[in-house]
Amino acid sequence: MAKRPFPRWALCIVGMSLLLAACGGGDDNQAAQDSGGPKHQGVEVTVLTFTGPQIAEPLQRRAPDFGRATGATIKVVTVPFSDLYDKILTDVATGTNSYDAFVFDPQWMGDFVPNGYLEDITDRVKADQALKWDDIAPFFRDFSASYKGRTYTIPLDGDFQMAYYRSDLLKKDGVQPPATWEDYLAIAERYHGKDLNGDGKADYGSCIAKKRAAQSYWMSWSIAGAYLQSEGTSQGAFFDAGTMKPLVNNEGFATALDIYKRTTQFAPADELNLDVGDTRGLFTSGRCALSVDWGDIGTLAIDEKTSTVQDKVGSVILPGSKRVLDRATGRLVDCDPTRCPHAIDGVNHAPFSAFGGWSGAINAAVDDKVKNAAYDFLAYMSAPDQANEDVTLGKTGFNPYRISQFENTDLWVKAGMSKTAADNYLGAIRDSLQSPNMILDLRIPKSAQYQGVVLDTALAQFLAGELDRDQAIRQIESGWDKITDDEGRDQQKQAYAESLNIQR
Amino acid sequence: MDAGTLTGDRDRAAAPPEARTRSQASLGSTVAVRAAFIWPALLAILFVSIFPLLVSLYISLSRLRLRRGGFEFQFIGLDNFRELYAGGEQAHFLGVARTPTPLGWVVFGACVGLLFWGLVRAFQGGTSVLGIMARVLGALLAAAVLWLAVRTLLAPGGRPGTAMVTLIYVLVGIAVQFTLGLGLAWLLTQGLPGQRFFRVVFLLPMMITPVGVAYMFRMLTDTGKGPLQPLWAAVGLSDFSWVNDPWGARVAVLVGDIWQWTPFMFIILLAALEGQDQDTVEAAMVDGASRWRIFRHVTWPAILPVCTTVVLIRLIEAFKIIDLPNILTNGGPGTATESLSLHAYIRWRTLDLGQSAAVAYSLLFIVTVAAMSYVNVVRRRVAEE
Amino acid sequence: MRNPLRRRSVKELSPPGKLAAYLVLGGWALVVLFPLYWLAITSFKTPLQVNAGPVYLPFVDFQPTVDAWRYIFVDLRGDTLRPYVNTVVVALGSSTLALLLGSAAAYALIRFPYRPRVGVIALFAGCVLAAAVAVGLGTPPAVAVAAAGGCFAILAATVGRRFRRGLSNRDIAFWMISQRILPPVAVVIPIYVLFQRLGMLDTRTALIVTYAATNLPIVVWLMRDYFNTLPWELEEAAVVDGASAFRVFRSITLPLSTPGLVATFLIVLVFSWNEYLLALFLSSADAQTMPLTVAAQNATRGPQWWYMSVLIQIMILPVVALAVALERVISRGLLVGAVKG
Repeated sequence: MAKRPFPRWALCIVGMSLLLAACGGGDDNQAAQDSGGPKHQGVEVTVLTFTGPQIAEPLQRRAPDFGRATGATIKVVTVPFSDLYDKILTDVATGTNSYDAFVFDPQWMGDFVPNGYLEDITDRVKADQALKWDDIAPFFRDFSASYKGRTYTIPLDGDFQMAYYRSDLLKKDGVQPPATWEDYLAIAERYHGKDLNGDGKADYGSCIAKKRAAQSYWMSWSIAGAYLQSEGTSQGAFFDAGTMKPLVNNEGFATALDIYKRTTQFAPADELNLDVGDTRGLFTSGRCALSVDWGDIGTLAIDEKTSTVQDKVGSVILPGSKRVLDRATGRLVDCDPTRCPHAIDGVNHAPFSAFGGWSGAINAAVDDKVKNAAYDFLAYMSAPDQANEDVTLGKTGFNPYRISQFENTDLWVKAGMSKTAADNYLGAIRDSLQSPNMILDLRIPKSAQYQGVVLDTALAQFLAGELDRDQAIRQIESGWDKITDDEGRDQQKQAYAESLNIQR
Repeated sequence: MDAGTLTGDRDRAAAPPEARTRSQASLGSTVAVRAAFIWPALLAILFVSIFPLLVSLYISLSRLRLRRGGFEFQFIGLDNFRELYAGGEQAHFLGVARTPTPLGWVVFGACVGLLFWGLVRAFQGGTSVLGIMARVLGALLAAAVLWLAVRTLLAPGGRPGTAMVTLIYVLVGIAVQFTLGLGLAWLLTQGLPGQRFFRVVFLLPMMITPVGVAYMFRMLTDTGKGPLQPLWAAVGLSDFSWVNDPWGARVAVLVGDIWQWTPFMFIILLAALEGQDQDTVEAAMVDGASRWRIFRHVTWPAILPVCTTVVLIRLIEAFKIIDLPNILTNGGPGTATESLSLHAYIRWRTLDLGQSAAVAYSLLFIVTVAAMSYVNVVRRRVAEE
Repeated sequence: MRNPLRRRSVKELSPPGKLAAYLVLGGWALVVLFPLYWLAITSFKTPLQVNAGPVYLPFVDFQPTVDAWRYIFVDLRGDTLRPYVNTVVVALGSSTLALLLGSAAAYALIRFPYRPRVGVIALFAGCVLAAAVAVGLGTPPAVAVAAAGGCFAILAATVGRRFRRGLSNRDIAFWMISQRILPPVAVVIPIYVLFQRLGMLDTRTALIVTYAATNLPIVVWLMRDYFNTLPWELEEAAVVDGASAFRVFRSITLPLSTPGLVATFLIVLVFSWNEYLLALFLSSADAQTMPLTVAAQNATRGPQWWYMSVLIQIMILPVVALAVALERVISRGLLVGAVKG
């Protein structure tokens, strides 16, 4: 008797799986729907973010508590990080609206707000006492969470880049933390090739995430920003606000590109393929003297599971420049009080709020009941009681963004930092957050194409030697001009001005 | 009666013609029967393929605009294609072409000579006017691709674009995968002890999700955490970063691709080899024929149809390679490992759907031409045998 | 069931031949197994151990921990189980469907003469396109399909008779395989919109139907070759006796081509099991599958190798088990020879 091609056991597996699916994948949040305060009884809110544990973990952890208190059910859905932008945009643009709220990157507001996808929460925020809106650092309040003067997101995380250094090495040799990019290069050169963590292998002077389509384009602007913007956030660091001409074909950007390429000489051999996960791993296992990164290194460094350099890490505001761009001539000129009103010791610093800081926003197309519940949940996550604890935990991925978070060192000491380390880390954060010259990340329509496609590709080709510096500059300029023209030069100009709160 | 596979109906020759025709005709005599067998499959394919195909075509001729409460596609004609073939993206897509080295000229000359010789043979063989025109067109296309290849690969300062890189992945990858797959499958039908173990082990790479394989290879090629570092150091390559050198990175992608897809060839060819008629093989062995002769004259013709099919399927799949270059190096260093699919994906990720669809349609065109040429060449070669 | 006598009558390789064979086999086995071994031990390492540099032997070079396994199975319990079950259901369902429909189509393409006329095909395509556009624009699907079907029937009966030029079975087959040429990137958003209009987003059914449809061409092409190696005499006997095509197909053709069917089933299963992009877009919360969870381990902190390794290992285990079980069937090529004699 010939054997049938589909043994019965295969059918059994299918049957069992279906059975399992019916019982197993049940509603995990059933338990949370206790009889709590009836405020949002029975409302289910679906929140979309990327797969963690960063960012998703605190949301998932605190959702049951919120559910118990208000009767709402919070369902946290996660997708791979690289596809978050597409998922959200296709969901809202096609009218599917399967997500009620998002925890995403406010930089993307340029694509969302003009098309009415996000709920305007200005009034809610004003009326909300528990949120302590004024405690949030001005930059995140006024620039990061707002678009055209209205508020659309609730900050949960503060993103900006700093420079990190091995405090033990620099202290031993009496070297000051880098104040300018020339200092940075000098320190990198000094420590490159030496054994920095006692394992007998040569280590590296500087580790920067230069991998294509990862974080490279932010790193490059962390360097370029100090040369391009000096008069305050509203001056903008990407375009000339009057003509929408990209600020790349000038001596400032060219110098920055050269510096960016030069750091590769003091870096690991495959730095061009390292993303921020790799560089953090290298820094916290003691193999780099310097790095440029978001706030994560500070919290990762105190975790014994991931770090061998506890208490050996110092952070400082992003190195700056003593010369800045004269936009009329395209050349670099020395700093003076008029040109660099925010200079510190004659050096113009421009801390770059890269990416903007994970924030929560509400889908404008869902029911009011759901919107209310979603707002309350996001406000709950951002309220000092919850947020101040979460920012001290490395695994949450939340970095400080409230003034109270970096004034009170106790929480940090409790989390494992020594007093000196906490003072140093929080001091650097304070310097950056309070700088009036912080750079707002580009948030006009198609910002993802400007940075993620044109800039990123040209940078990768420049670093790999496929293009020389001037070719790269020309490629970025023509690529950006094309996008601007395709979108409409006037529209883009207006969007850019509005994002910078430039009053006309 | 036109119902052959790629290589024609040879097995049917055994039966007497009249009996074959009569009973075979009775097999598929009613329209209902004929329809019932094929329509479910046709409908399923049509359902998910025709809409995307046509919509993609329209998208490639337009630009996505997000609007209040929705989106629209603004028709812009051939702008996307113009940018790709002659505008800012040309260096990215086709590559940077320079004057070839002497070696380049030699290679080009030799290949053109071969093409010409093939054409002459075809004329002598005698074919229809349409056939001749098709062949000449095909030869011209092949020559153009060769010219581009020589000017980007065998020329100082030249750089291959995503189209050329994809072609390299496909040709080298399939050649190695097929040889390896066939060799391994054949070895495992020679009655060696322990062959069951090998058969299962050799199937493993294909089972892993492509994204997982790509991350695995990323770990393996890492100079810091990769396990092969001591090996490279022993050979003197400790500072060589595979993924920072254009050709090193391409080799890494090829190795990953071959590792992952050899099992595909292997399993199909294994089933084909196992399905062979054992009597003929044994008879030949008893007659004292060597293994090679048996393979060449008995096995190879029997599995030829399957070989051609499996190469065609893999050809079409290989052109779509994306996960390995994406995860290994994100297309880097620079644009050295970027394949056409990755090129389209990078554009698509930032919602530049028009440009992405233009690249996808260029890929469609290239692969269709390649597949049709392959099918024609194979059919002709086999018919001559 | 293997006949041991048959195997032993094949001449064995000479000792040098055996050595060479084992060298090649062993070499490739090493190449296959080493990355998998590396993957396995990475799942037992802490982040620090992964980043510091390569260590090879558990207990000797490093102390293994089960942190990663605990995180995936305990901390993420539901978030791991749900995608897993989805993957199993979707992959098995779509492969079975594809195999059934595809082998029937393959059989038809080598036994029955088809001669679709070019004109009629164009008409059909036009009607389908019109229906699809209507659905895309918001018409209820049932109405659109019914209207298009009606239009086509009428047009085919009247205008359709005039067309002469026809295509062959070979062309149909080539058309089928050409559906696989467009990369997923180009088709994902239209398919997304299609299922959105049908209200089938985030369902396993949508994934099953999509995967079955996209893998059908492979089944058709592979099964055509296997069916073609079957001698016609076997089927002819049954046909002469008066069996219908279904009968012949079910009782004679399918059982005889078991090795090919099994190999094809495995291939299509693997393709559905591991597919990423369509799964990403057609699912939002309930129908997510495992490849998404693997890709998702690369987040803002970089790839979390330890979790990823665990996920990849649990993903391949069922498929490998199935392959081991089915490998026996693939090697049963004897039946054909036996019947021939």
